[in-house]
This record gives sequence, C-alpha cells and structure tokens, in this order.
Amino acid sequence: MEAVKLWSLTSQPLKHFFHLARSSTSTSTSYVFRRTPRRLVLRCCSSTATSKNVDQGTTRVAGRNRRSSSSSSSTSDRDAIRAIRLKKVEELRSKGLDPYAYKWDRTHSANQLQEIYINLGNGEEANSENDHVCIAGRIVARRAFGKLAFLTLRDDSGTIQLYCDKERLIGDQFEQLKAIVDIGDILGASGSIKRTEKGELSVCVHSFAILTKSLLPLPDKYHGLTDVDKRYRQRYVDMIANPEVADVFRKRAKIVSEIRRTMDSLGFVEVETPVLQGAAGGAEARPFITYHNSLERDLYLRIATELHLKRMLVGGFEKVYEIGRIFRNEGISPRHNPEFTSIEIYEAYSDYQSMMNMAEEIVTRCALAIHGKLTIDYQGVEICLERPWRRETMHNLVKEAAGIDFNELGNDLGVAKEVTLSTLGKNLEKKDKASIEGCQSIGHLLNEVFEIVVEPQLIQPTFVLDYPIEVSPLAKPHRRSAGLTERFELFICGRELANAFSELTDPIDQRGRLEDQIKQHEKKKAAAMSTNLDKEGMENEDDLYEVTLDDDFLTALEYGMPPASGLGIGIDRLVMLLTDSPSIRDVIAFPVLKLQR
Amino acid sequence: MEAPSEPTAPAAGEVISKNALKRELKNKQREEERKRKEEEKAKKAAEMQSKKAATGEDEDMDPTQYHENRLKYLVAQKADGRNPYPHKFFTSMTINEYIEKYKGLSDGEHLEDVSVSLAGRIMNKRSSGGKLWFYDLHGSGYKLQVMADASKSDLDEAEFSKFHANVKRGDIVGVTGFPGKSKKGELSIFPKTFVVLSHCLHMMPRQKSGAAADLQKNVWVPGSTRNPEIYILKDQETRYRLRHLDLMLNPEVREIFKTRSKIISYIRRFLDDLDFLEVETPMMNMIAGGAAARPFVTHHNELNMRLFMRIAPELYLKELVVGGLDRVYEIGKQFRNEGIDLTHNPEFTTCEFYMAYKDYNDLMEITEQMLSGMAKELTKGSYKIKYHANGIDKDPIEIDFTPPFRRIDMIEELEKMAGLSIPKDLSSEEANQYLKDACLKHDIKCPPPETTARLLDKLVGHFLEETCVNPTFIINHPEIMSPLAKWHRSKPGLTERFELFVNKHELCNAYTELNDPVVQRQRFAEQLKDRQSGDDEAMALDETFCTALEYGLPPTGGWGMGIDRLTMLLTDSQNIKEVLLFPAMKPQD
Repeated sequence: MEAVKLWSLTSQPLKHFFHLARSSTSTSTSYVFRRTPRRLVLRCCSSTATSKNVDQGTTRVAGRNRRSSSSSSSTSDRDAIRAIRLKKVEELRSKGLDPYAYKWDRTHSANQLQEIYINLGNGEEANSENDHVCIAGRIVARRAFGKLAFLTLRDDSGTIQLYCDKERLIGDQFEQLKAIVDIGDILGASGSIKRTEKGELSVCVHSFAILTKSLLPLPDKYHGLTDVDKRYRQRYVDMIANPEVADVFRKRAKIVSEIRRTMDSLGFVEVETPVLQGAAGGAEARPFITYHNSLERDLYLRIATELHLKRMLVGGFEKVYEIGRIFRNEGISPRHNPEFTSIEIYEAYSDYQSMMNMAEEIVTRCALAIHGKLTIDYQGVEICLERPWRRETMHNLVKEAAGIDFNELGNDLGVAKEVTLSTLGKNLEKKDKASIEGCQSIGHLLNEVFEIVVEPQLIQPTFVLDYPIEVSPLAKPHRRSAGLTERFELFICGRELANAFSELTDPIDQRGRLEDQIKQHEKKKAAAMSTNLDKEGMENEDDLYEVTLDDDFLTALEYGMPPASGLGIGIDRLVMLLTDSPSIRDVIAFPVLKLQR
Repeated sequence: MEAPSEPTAPAAGEVISKNALKRELKNKQREEERKRKEEEKAKKAAEMQSKKAATGEDEDMDPTQYHENRLKYLVAQKADGRNPYPHKFFTSMTINEYIEKYKGLSDGEHLEDVSVSLAGRIMNKRSSGGKLWFYDLHGSGYKLQVMADASKSDLDEAEFSKFHANVKRGDIVGVTGFPGKSKKGELSIFPKTFVVLSHCLHMMPRQKSGAAADLQKNVWVPGSTRNPEIYILKDQETRYRLRHLDLMLNPEVREIFKTRSKIISYIRRFLDDLDFLEVETPMMNMIAGGAAARPFVTHHNELNMRLFMRIAPELYLKELVVGGLDRVYEIGKQFRNEGIDLTHNPEFTTCEFYMAYKDYNDLMEITEQMLSGMAKELTKGSYKIKYHANGIDKDPIEIDFTPPFRRIDMIEELEKMAGLSIPKDLSSEEANQYLKDACLKHDIKCPPPETTARLLDKLVGHFLEETCVNPTFIINHPEIMSPLAKWHRSKPGLTERFELFVNKHELCNAYTELNDPVVQRQRFAEQLKDRQSGDDEAMALDETFCTALEYGLPPTGGWGMGIDRLTMLLTDSQNIKEVLLFPAMKPQD
C-alpha cells in the first residue's frame, strides 16, 4: 500500500509516485479515452512493477502467514466459542425460545432516541406511556455487576445503552441475559427511557428478546483494522468492527443520489444499455470475454457506455445519462478495480464548454451534500471547489510546467523529441525517456509530456482543454485549432476525475479514426508479441487483445447525430475524493482481491 | 390568342395574294405556338426536376445510390472548405416549449419581431415552387412545421432554392426565425436562417402522413394498449437492431423507455422514503450464488482467476445487513447464460431489497403499496391496466392492481385444484414418486432430472400460476424449493416465502430470510445432492456467506422483482425486447 501513503503527501512525493507509475507504463503510448479515469497508473501494477510487487508480495505474504499462525490459535478459540454458542442455541430452543426470531417491531432508532431525549437531565427517567420504546440492534459491549448490567446496542443509526436492572426485567430474563447473551448477538429490547447519573442515555429494559444468536465473536476493533485483506474479504466484519466504514457507503449512496437528482432536475432521462456486447468500444482497454451458450458466440463486457448512449442521441433522445458498471480486464491497484461505476451524460446541441459547467455543477452539489461546504480535505491537502475552476489548455499547461512551447516546435517529430528530451533531460526517469522516444506523433508527445510533468501537479480542480487529435478518437476536431480536439479532462488531486468532449458526429471521419486506432493497436500488439518471443516474458501482455470495430455505431452515425457533447465521471473516484478515502477499495463494498492462498 | 397585328411586310406595291399571306401568317402562328409549347414543356420539366430533387423524390433511387450521392455531397462540401458538421447550434427553447408558448396565436398571425432558435430532425419535406418549403421538425417527441419562405430568408432566391434542394429528410437542422400560424391555423416557425447540423446519409423510410399528424394527438400513456403492427417501421428485427431508427420513426417507442425510466425512479423514491440505502455489489464473483441458474464465465488475466457474472445480488446484500446496514437495495443487471425468448434476455434488471426486522407478511404489504401506487401514478389515476395477454389480434385483458392482492397457499391450493394429497414429508422418496405419478396423470411434462422441487414447480405452473392474472401471491413454498428462505414458523416443511404472479408470470420473489447458519449449511448440502443428480441449476455453497451468517443476520425480509417484466406489463409489451434498448440478438448471417 505504498501508493496509498504516497498519495497522502504533497506534490513532490506525488511526483515521485507518478514517476514510479510512469516508469512502468513501458512503451505503451497511453491512448487516453473516455470515460473513466485512465488506465495509466494501473499498469504500474501490471507490467514492470510486477516484479516490484512480487517482492512486496512475498513480505506481505510472510506477514500474513505470521498473523495467521498467531491467529491459528485464535481459530481454535473461535471454534471453541462457536461450540459454546451453538450449545446456547440449543438451550434457547429447549426453553421454547427462538434463537432466530422472525421479526421485531421497532418504534425508534438509537439516533432518534438520542435526539428526542437530548434534554433529559442526568439521573432523570421518562416513564410515561409515550416513553415506552422498542429498539433493536447488535450488542457491541457489555458490563455486568451483580444485579445490574449495561449493554451497548448499535443499530444503523448509532448506539444507545441498555440499562438492565434485575428488578425491572420480567421473569428470569436477567439470568438469561447474563448466561446466554453474548457480544455480537442481535437483540430487541423494550422499556422506558433513563439518563444515568453519568449522563448516558439508556433504555431501561423491561424485556428483551434474542433476535439472532451470533456464533462467532466480534473481532477486536484494533486487530480487525490491521488485517487489510480480511477487511475487504469480509466486509461485514469490517463494518461491525468499524462503524465509520459503513458511513462511506452511506455517503456513496448520497453522492449517487445527488447526481441523479441533479440530472433529473435538468430534464435528463436515465437509460440502461447492454453490458454484454458483440464489440467492446468507446475506450481502449482490455475487455473481459465470456461465451454465450445458446448464441454460440463470444461476448465482451462493456468497457464504456459511450457508443450505445450516442445511438440514443441519434434516436432522438436529446438528454440521456447512464450510471452503471464498467469492466476492464486489467490489474488491481489503490485506484483500479476491474469493475467500477461511471456516469456518462450526453446532451444534444451543446458543446464541451457547457459540459464544463455541468461537471462543476455535479461535483459541487455532491460536495455540498456531503460536507455542506466547498473547501474539503483530501488526505491532508485542502481542496477548494469554489467555482469557477481553472480552465487551461494542455499546450499552455505544458509550456508553463515543462518550459516547452509545442506551438513553436513545428511538425518534425524527431526535432520535437530532441527538444523535449533536452529540456526535461535531467529530471527524466529512464522509462519516461523511453516512452517519449516511443511517441508516434507530435500529439502523442504532447500528451506524454503532459502526463509526466503536469498531471501530478494538478491538485486543485483544473479543466485541461484541447487534447491532441491523435489521443482523442471520439472527439470533434477543434473549431479553431488544427490538430486539436474540443476535449477536456478534469483533474483534482493529480487524478483524472472526468473526461468530456464535443462529440465527433461526422461518420466518415469517425470511421477513419477508429480504423486508425485498430491499426495502431495491431502494431503495438505485433510489437508486444515479438518482444515476448524474444524475452519469453509476458511483459507487454497488456496489448495482446483484440480491438473490434463497432459497425452498428458507425451505421447509427450515418443516420445523423445532432451536435452534442458528452461527459463521463468516475463515480468511485468522486466518492474517494469526497470521503477522503485513499484507496478505491475503501469505496467499493466488495472489491476484487487476489486469490487467497 | 390575340390576332396578330397588321402585317407590315410586304412592301407597298408588291402584290401578294391575300391567300398566300394568310397561309404564311398561319404558319408563323403555328410555329410560334409550337415553340411556346416546347418551351413550356421544357420549363415544366425543369421545374419538375428541381421539385423532385427538392422534395427528396430522389428517394425513388436505389438506396445504395442514394447513400453514395449523400457521401459525394459531403465530400463536395468539405472540398469547398465548409464544415458539414457544425460544432454547436444554440437553441433558445425546445420544440415542446415553443408549442406551449405560441399555440395561442390566431390563424395567420405572425410575430415578426420575435426571434427563436430551434433544432430537430426533418421527418417530412414539401415544397411549393422553389420559394416556399414546408418541413416537419421533430424533437423530443414533438413536431412542428417549419415554413421556409425565400422572401423571409437571409439568402437570395437562387441560393435559397439550391440550399433547400439539398436538405434531406432525416437531416438534423437548426432554424432561427419568428413564430406564426398559417392561414389554416398550423403553428409554424418562419426561419430567417436555416442550417443543416448533421446529415442523414441513408434513405429514411417514409412516414405516413396520418401517423405524423397523430404525434401530438394520441400520446400513449402507460397502462393503455399499443399496437406495433401499425408502426411505420414494423419489422421487428430491424426495430431491435437499429433502435435509433425505431425511435425516430415510431414515436411510441420513446414513451416505452421513458416509462421504464419512470418505473425505476418510482421504485427508488419509494424505497428511499422508507430509509433504504442504495448500494452496489459485485457483478463478477468467484461463486455465482443467490439463485439457481447457469452463469456466464469469464477470466481475469492478471489475477489469472476465473470469475462468474452474478446471477443474483442476494448473498452480498445480506452480508451488508450483517454488517449493520439495516435497509439496503440494489437495482442492477443480472446475467444468466440461458436461451433467448419472449421473456428472457441474457442480461436483465432486477431490484432486490433487504429489510431488517421485517418478515414476509410485512413485505407483502409493501409490495402491494409499491405496485398499486406505481400503477396509479403512471396511469394517472387508475389501478387498472390493459394488456394484450392473448396476442395483439385478440381483445386486451384488464389487470387490476387494487390492493390487497389475492393470496393462495401453494400446497393447500395445489391439492385442492388438482385433487391431490401430497405426502407431508416432501424430501421423501414417496413424495417424489407421488408427484411423478401426478404429473403423468395430468400429462404435465417435467424434463429430467425429476427432482421433487422440479416436479412441484411444474404442477404449480400448470394448476396455480394459470389462475393468477390479477396480482396474486402464491405463498409458503416447501423448503426443498427454497434453500435461502426461512422455515415457516407454524407449518412444518414449508417456508415463509411468496412469489407474486401477474398475468401468469412471476414478478416478485420474497421471503423471511433464513438466518440460522447451521440450517443454511444443511440446505446447501441438500442442493448439492440435487446438483449431483443432474440439476445444474441447484445452488452452490458460498462459504463467505455462511460465515457471515455466523456473525448474526438480524431477522430480515428480502425481496426481488424483475424490472423488465414489470415494464412489459405497464407498456403492453409481449416481448422482452420491446423494453430493452439494445436486446441481445442472434448474430447476423
């Protein structure tokens, strides 16, 4: 989790991290497509850095083994506890009590009670008929003294204390409480309200029922936290041990719902397009392949929603969006999960300028929904989301940060590379040099320099405008600047959050560009194949997949797509930003993990 | 014809016979007449020609030729240094807003000092001479007449004619002009400028004028019937493969997908109001659990790991309830590697929700509230919908969502309807044999393996589901059919489960969740037995899920509904492809 740490630091280490990442992209000229944040850093975990990871991996495995050896004794503890609790289950049944109840009628949540009785004084009781409440939740702590027991009950909303006085409990429930109830059990309790002398609001329990008997002990909060792998693998344990984990998912729901509300209020229609496709288009990424038995054909999982949504524009929907899962068959990292969620938005008769406003609108509305303000903290860095955000062309940003003016460089690729290398020379890592040398065009070179030098510095929200045409096969040519497209990407914290363009509507131009893309890919693939033959390693395996032309999309364009712009936002990354989460795994409930050994 | 003027020639004194003179004159007249007629004919032909080109009558052309001509036109435009695909056209309002704003104008009234910019697709084109052109402009499901008049245009007459001759049906255009009504009372826009924004390079199927006129009048509403047989574009294959064309030509189709979107947002709002949290769980899993179906298999390269596409989100959602999220739901795609037919697509959308401390009785009430409320909102006030259950050529049936819905007890009702007395121990060999015999007796086919669960399913399908036209809960399924449902609190061998049937099809499936980990493991073991006997749709054990139950799942009610099927009901669709934008199709050729 080295990258995680690096993330939390300021721009210098970020840059360092970036170099680390860049150093592994090897010769692959990163084609930057929409809609979701680039696969760039991902490759740092895939190709060259793999060897690095192996080292880390072995130490980590050793660490885990150590832990598991220590926890092997705890496994036997676990089994012992499980056996004891299973006996309690039998005991309950033998008494005619159900260890797994069917339902429980709650009158309040813990948090509601905390609010209602906020003014109840220490030592006071509220015992009228209205104060008789029923609550339910998991027991997360307990202390028992003679005739008194204090339990902490936690539900979805928060916690409240159960004040259990032998005198007040009906029948032999106090004995039952002491003998059978364990931490981890789910209890329903009813009683009146009392604030203890120490100021703890409590339900003064008259009766309770075990609703679900737990068989396993809850993890100790601190140990539960350290076992990162287990946290993700058994997310429910993580959530029980660390309630703040659940808050991330509550906020995630809120963010997605805020986005929907924004889109709906602007008159956009939400649609669903297929996940399983005959051709995976709209981005450049290795797709997942599956096989449909009855159709007897291979299908790809979508790598973007773009091409189908554009077909909706052709069909006469003028404002559409889709929030959905995207799949890319690539490595996992703190910023990448093989499946992730994006929103893509398309609006007829608008251009990329208006999409900048849209991006600002969505992100600020979400930030306000979560934080109530526009200055937020991400891993120790203060981010200011006050509008308007900086808008600057890629040319100017590169000139400013790298001191290279691509407008002056002319069209000779060789000369341009020389100038670039001599200007950046001393600061470049070997791999960066190689990727600069590998650039096939001025546009690629500009993009490469931007990624190496500028990207990591874009901490405050910045729209980067006017990308080279060579790296933007679905964007419309710039109306004024030849060789560029009307495209922007939004960067916050050195990370691509959104990608948008005035859409290419000319079917002839589009076909040409997609065909070029396939040619270039085939070239890379051939190169990768030959290197692999030479080295026997599968270093450039990333490029060994098929790219197919989506003819249905091109045909649709021939029926006429209105001038339009589209915007894609990576929702996981937005949630990371707004919940101050360092890893994508913190915002995905069940992230993909390596196989357990 | 007027008599010619007095002859001037021949010169005075010369004597020409009067007859000869007359003859000559007549010849001259004839000659002139002929010339004039010829000229007229040529002129007419030229007019026809230009008219033909203009109104798009080159559509008699072979479609390939038409397409090539359009491509040539674009090449010519680009060669002239013109961009045939402008970057942006500013619209000051939508067509709908325009209609709302100016529908009150009186016949013949023009507001020449108002300027409005509109954009949309040309679906019809007529001309009257080269100076006046009528277009139907379509956008967002609305239609407006564009009356392009040379005298109102910024172009000169020749340019104007030439320009409009090249505007084709199907092109996307932007117009800026003033509002007005024709003398006949048709609301129009009179453009000063007119630009083509995007070109339709294919010949657009012709629109029946009647259908176009109906666009505004008979707007289809959810719950009423549809008839795709009278669509302009009828061919199903084309409609589903080229959905963009379907949407352009058949205005109702757009309403189907808007209805779909409304159904989903209704469900979201309904659950959000009950304090549910929307979550996302993985679509790719190590084990395809939570249902019984054949999964799609894929492979993660770098992790070198086999993954299954999910067939249900159930197990993950219950894990989240274990984790303390008391009310969660997920609306999303499921994937099943099964055949494609009228009600099955390999990917489909479901909503599942899980609600701690509630049981299946509570969920039946919630189902009634949700569906009746939705029917009422979408149909604008009625619980009843019309549906062509027996084909488009038969009268539609009425389906009534008025709550409460009928409830029938599965085994009890089956015994009653079929005159059976099924052995109480359903896991016994005896019960299995009894049901085999029953199927035989009623000529109900059950393809092997003939497990008790499958036999029962067939019998229920035959005797009970057939009676469920109005929404009906079939409740209390046997344990052997429901490995994830909790045993019934008072009826041994049964579970607390319901399925909601509407129009004889299952729409919802719900139960009080099984949360006893010991029993859950036993149930999985029994499923394994069925699997070994050849039922590859029996459920697989998910160890992580079973461990989660050992940490304690509160009493929970869980519920699932097929969104596609619900949309089919509310849009009078008999084929699931009608409600999927891009349904899975067999590969062409």
